[in-house]
Amino acid sequence: MKIIADYDRCEGHGLCADQAPDVFDLDDEGDLVHHFDDQDVPSALEDAALRAVDSCPVAALRRG
Amino acid sequence: MTSAPTYRPDVYSPSAILDPYPHYRRMRELGPVVRLSKQRVHAVVHHAPCKEVLLADDVFRSERGVGLNPVANRLSRGTTLNSDDEDHERRRTLLASRLTPKALRSMREEVQARADAVVDAALALDEVDGVADIARALPTSFVPDLIGWPREGRENLLPWAGATFDVLGPLNGRTLRAAPRSLAMMRFARSVVRRRDVLPGSMGADLLGKADEGAIGHGECPALMIDYLAPSLDTTISAIASALWLLATHPQQWSALQSDPSLVPNAVNEVVRIESPLRAFARRVAVDTTIAGTPLRAGSRVVVFYASANRDERAWDRPDEFDVTRDATQQLGFGQGAHGCAGQGLARLETQSILRSLLERVDRIELTGPPTWGQNNIIHALDRLPIRLVAA
Repeated sequence: MKIIADYDRCEGHGLCADQAPDVFDLDDEGDLVHHFDDQDVPSALEDAALRAVDSCPVAALRRG
Repeated sequence: MTSAPTYRPDVYSPSAILDPYPHYRRMRELGPVVRLSKQRVHAVVHHAPCKEVLLADDVFRSERGVGLNPVANRLSRGTTLNSDDEDHERRRTLLASRLTPKALRSMREEVQARADAVVDAALALDEVDGVADIARALPTSFVPDLIGWPREGRENLLPWAGATFDVLGPLNGRTLRAAPRSLAMMRFARSVVRRRDVLPGSMGADLLGKADEGAIGHGECPALMIDYLAPSLDTTISAIASALWLLATHPQQWSALQSDPSLVPNAVNEVVRIESPLRAFARRVAVDTTIAGTPLRAGSRVVVFYASANRDERAWDRPDEFDVTRDATQQLGFGQGAHGCAGQGLARLETQSILRSLLERVDRIELTGPPTWGQNNIIHALDRLPIRLVAA
């Protein structure tokens, strides 16, 4: 399962990083870091990643 | 597919505005989507379909207005709130880029210092009004400067901003009485843009600069100024006042925050969940569709009740209980998706800053009299909250 991030739409609210800290993070500038950009999210992290998709306030994340 | 059950009581009556939650519960018991016979619209009241509508902005449109009456929807043309797709993205990018958490990083210390000053001033008094002395004091101390609203005439800001929400309700007496104040705000915004009377370095100055470059029309600027100022006051004021009230009346939740201040961001989500500052906004259905099995005709309107979704028994365990330790991330109080609140980063920053100031300085918050709730078609907010802050 891939998670696709729309970096133009992302406003850096960081709710995804709270839900799935091993998948998403904000860098020192406050920009989104997606640790599995363009690759499958490890199955152990899938549930958390889907919660992150669900929590994004501006719908900048979607399941690939 | 079956047609939606009908809900007859007026959820915009003065008594329903004061105590809306029993109405929302009865609406939810009828089904995910109900027909409001008084307003002749469908109301979406369960969490899952509310979210579905908000995310499907290709079907559920904002461009012809998110209010419940055609007059307000026509008057609010040209705002970010009432637009879709490229128009919406363009308008949102113009100003929202100044409001993202990233852009607000440089303001964190300043907002915290302002929150500290507000709480210190309240501590110096024996009894305060949590609404006027704390909740209103913080946003009004810097948000109008951030937007660039001229310093003269600011005493009108709160009545005007409140009216600008009120007129988005159904065509009831409240809406009609609020219309002159909402129009006055629009007239003032037009004259601000005409006179270029915006504070240097502000979002308003940015906006006029973009208009000079030809990125937007000068005619678009007044609506956009209001777009960012009106919603940045009452909503945050509501959240801060509700937080004070909830923490005063739930001492065990206050203790939980005292023992673990890292719960503060979640506590703000929980406040917005259980006392959602915005009750509901409407969408226009673009094509015949169904939501939660209910058929909806193209051209009709649906009203998304955020405040009901946030207490939906299907989405929340003990929905009427204030619990700062529950994961309240899925609350819909800021909306979600393309039209998700552009100012939510700022609202979170302000409310979290007040809570942090309180946790550092205050042992407990005591209610010293009965609170009163304000009357507004759209904004759910305390009007008066007599409290005492007891110093730590």
